[in-house]
Amino acid sequence: MSETQAMQLPLIYLLLAVFLCGTLWWLALWTLKTASHRHQEGQQERDWSVPLIDSAAGGDSLFHRWDVRFKLVALLGFAFLVVATRSPWSALLAMLLGLLAVRLARLPFARSLRRLLAMSGFLAMFLLIMPLTAVPHPGDFLLTFSGIDFLRFNLRGLSLALAIVGKACAVALLMEPLLATASLPRTVEGLTRLGVPEKVGQMILLAHRYIFVFLEEARRMATGMQVRGFQRRTSMQTLRVMGNYLGMLFVRSFERTHRVYDAMQARGYQGRFPAPAYFSVGKSDWLHTACWLLLGLLLLCFDRFWLGN
Amino acid sequence: MHDLQRLPPIDFSGPAQFEVRDLHFSYPNGQAALRGIDLSIAAGDRIALVGQNGSGKSTLIRHLNGLLPVQQGELIYQGEPLVGEHLRRARLEIGVLFQDPDDQLFCSTLYDDVCFGLVNQGMALETVEPLVRQALASVGLEGLIYKPSHHLSYGQKKRAALACLLAMRPQVLILDEPTANLDPGQEKILVELLRQYSGTLICITHDLLFAFELCQRAVVLDHGQIHHDYTMAELVAHPPSMREHGLDFSFRLAGLANQDLPPLQACTLLPEPPADTGTASHSKGTAVLALGNYRFSYPDGTQALQGVDFVLHAGESVAIVGENGAGKTTLLSCLMGIQSGTGEHSLEGANLSRKQRQLLWRKVGMVFQDPADQLFCASCAEEVAFGPRQLGLPAEEVERRVDQALQRVRLSGYHHRVPLHLSGGERKRLAIATVLSMQPELLILDEPTAGLDPQGEELLLEILKELPQTRILVSHDPFLVAELTQRTLVMHRGRVLEDYSTADFLADQSQKSLNLLALGYRQQRSREILELQHQHQHSHAHYHLHDHPHRHGELVHSHPHEHQHDHPHAYTHTHGADSSEHCHPPEVGYHEHSHPGHEEEEHRHVHPEDESSDG
Repeated sequence: MSETQAMQLPLIYLLLAVFLCGTLWWLALWTLKTASHRHQEGQQERDWSVPLIDSAAGGDSLFHRWDVRFKLVALLGFAFLVVATRSPWSALLAMLLGLLAVRLARLPFARSLRRLLAMSGFLAMFLLIMPLTAVPHPGDFLLTFSGIDFLRFNLRGLSLALAIVGKACAVALLMEPLLATASLPRTVEGLTRLGVPEKVGQMILLAHRYIFVFLEEARRMATGMQVRGFQRRTSMQTLRVMGNYLGMLFVRSFERTHRVYDAMQARGYQGRFPAPAYFSVGKSDWLHTACWLLLGLLLLCFDRFWLGN
Repeated sequence: MHDLQRLPPIDFSGPAQFEVRDLHFSYPNGQAALRGIDLSIAAGDRIALVGQNGSGKSTLIRHLNGLLPVQQGELIYQGEPLVGEHLRRARLEIGVLFQDPDDQLFCSTLYDDVCFGLVNQGMALETVEPLVRQALASVGLEGLIYKPSHHLSYGQKKRAALACLLAMRPQVLILDEPTANLDPGQEKILVELLRQYSGTLICITHDLLFAFELCQRAVVLDHGQIHHDYTMAELVAHPPSMREHGLDFSFRLAGLANQDLPPLQACTLLPEPPADTGTASHSKGTAVLALGNYRFSYPDGTQALQGVDFVLHAGESVAIVGENGAGKTTLLSCLMGIQSGTGEHSLEGANLSRKQRQLLWRKVGMVFQDPADQLFCASCAEEVAFGPRQLGLPAEEVERRVDQALQRVRLSGYHHRVPLHLSGGERKRLAIATVLSMQPELLILDEPTAGLDPQGEELLLEILKELPQTRILVSHDPFLVAELTQRTLVMHRGRVLEDYSTADFLADQSQKSLNLLALGYRQQRSREILELQHQHQHSHAHYHLHDHPHRHGELVHSHPHEHQHDHPHAYTHTHGADSSEHCHPPEVGYHEHSHPGHEEEEHRHVHPEDESSDG
């Protein structure tokens, strides 16, 4: 096979595919919204809580019982092996394993779906751009659609994009059982025990605590601008105003940082957060870790030797 | 009134807990914040540290906790300078409650936050749990022990921050504006907690009623110096001295001061609301803005407004009151078109489409509770010009409006000042100017006086009274509600519970059970302060009728007799309605007091038997 192959399809096929993808995306969004509404229906006091990474930390599953350090090594290791695969079929398999992990961790699927939807815009760009921009190699299969012949969809590019999307989704799905099944301080403490600098761990914890405070401040300031008639336009004036806005946000964040540090010092902070030492290792921790790493290796072997990538 | 040599009004039977001698401090930009502070604080003292914004209060307490180093002078805590190892120990004994509780709750759960200080005190993690539970239980938050702090309401956060300190059993508790942004219900809980605290209490506050409730001693700072150090009662009893330092809140008591003093229990400190130009929804004027059966739910499904009916007429001034979470802010957002719900929303009789609601900013201006949310430009002039520019006005008109608005809020000449560098009161007035420059038909004010010192509060009130706009005011402050509005909407759980005249609202007892306004101890304390301010001593001749052994030459006997002499008496006076002259109670008052040596004096008075023998 030394030349590319081409095939023309009616335009309606493309339109149908776009419509189908759009409908699926909208359906997922609607499902999420409905689920959220059902959850809060009838409540009169607004739930001011912010989305929490570790909101399901109080559950009971093998992921909850798993020692955080082993869980980190196993799932991060598995994720690296998934990323090393090349075929979309391996990526699909990894995604299924990710879904299985979410199920085994007894986590609500809506949270994972929300995470995937948040990435969907970015990933959709891959699916759109890569088939159009992949340089045709000998043996590539090119699709064209009647009416827009100048656009050639390279199926190798699509396969590459699907592999990236699949791997990204698999890793995103794994993050739920990894981060949501233990409290964040515990997970961060686990990272510290694995050699991540303590200061980095403290920064993660403080960032998680204050990111929502800053977002709320940003929202209030944006409302303050809105009630005085500000509308974002493509103009120098908008750029100037946005510059002022971001500058002021930075000043406020900076001031708050100082105040928080003062408050910490006032309660005897000496550079270390009190770290609860509640780690215990059992045989099951070793076993689970070995299983996940082995699964990752098998997946990689399947990708490299079975599928021949 | 400045008597700096006077000894502080405390019992120094032992060594002072804090001894500050000739303390000076300047910030890196050269601004002198403290200039020769001398202060002794005894264990168990309860001090209100008062003064205008920028007087050096915060700088002083940051020294007391060792957050700022001593540049010049001496700072002794428990007999030793506050440095090195002693400073580290001291920080674990001195608790500071910061103004914004979000600064103080930096851990992932309440448990971790309370635990933080205890572990730094050297306690083992395994042993702290009962103490954490006890501390949270003492502030009524035991049920939220494993909750992250961003799940809490503002009042709960404030209490949680206090629990973090109380768990450490501090010998000294320093509070920075503890009542700021608290609703009356939460404030009541905080006051109760602080009443029970037995250590040294140092409180920075502009709220002198709160300070009067909790503190015995008042230290007045002005431009980095201590100007007065006396009892709280002495401070509040002397309005000229308070006025000199921008602390005079007597204007809040004016409504009561102009009346004859009624009995204590029956007293109300609230002034008469402004003349009723048509109360409740029965007003006759043109309807400026109206909501009909209006509902709003947040994306998470929370029903924030449920069938709200509200008509605002031209020229009206309406207060919206309700506990936190009642839906006040959501209602304002909907009125402004920031949020859009379902139901009727009309402006001057015409129904508004969703798109038209987003243009309401052209007619409706809103001043936020925190002016920082509204100020983002590099200069005051730019800030005030922002709105008119968005309206598309020509440059000359924008300039004219900027001058006019700044003048109206008493900030003429502030054109090139940086908003970030202004005082709290000035920033608040600037925020109002940013809205006034757009000449809105309706002005919405959200807690306009929150965080202001009394002088700033009085000035702002004066400015607000001058504004001709139709107004909506959201406030927990009964004084402000009474001063600025004629009609009140009581909100509860997303519904309008009552819509009546402000006079009826203030007289309504049922709203008190909802804790809508900051009454309670404040009413009682206001009354006491008013009496203190009207108490003075006169010395003049007056008659006494009394019975004691006395001498007439050789004759010694005892019987009721009357004679005249003068000595000072304490009086509580009243003012006539149209006079600054005061008068004392006209009725005869009988009282007990000693007359040392009076028995030995020669008595010359007529006896009944003398009169009968004469007859």
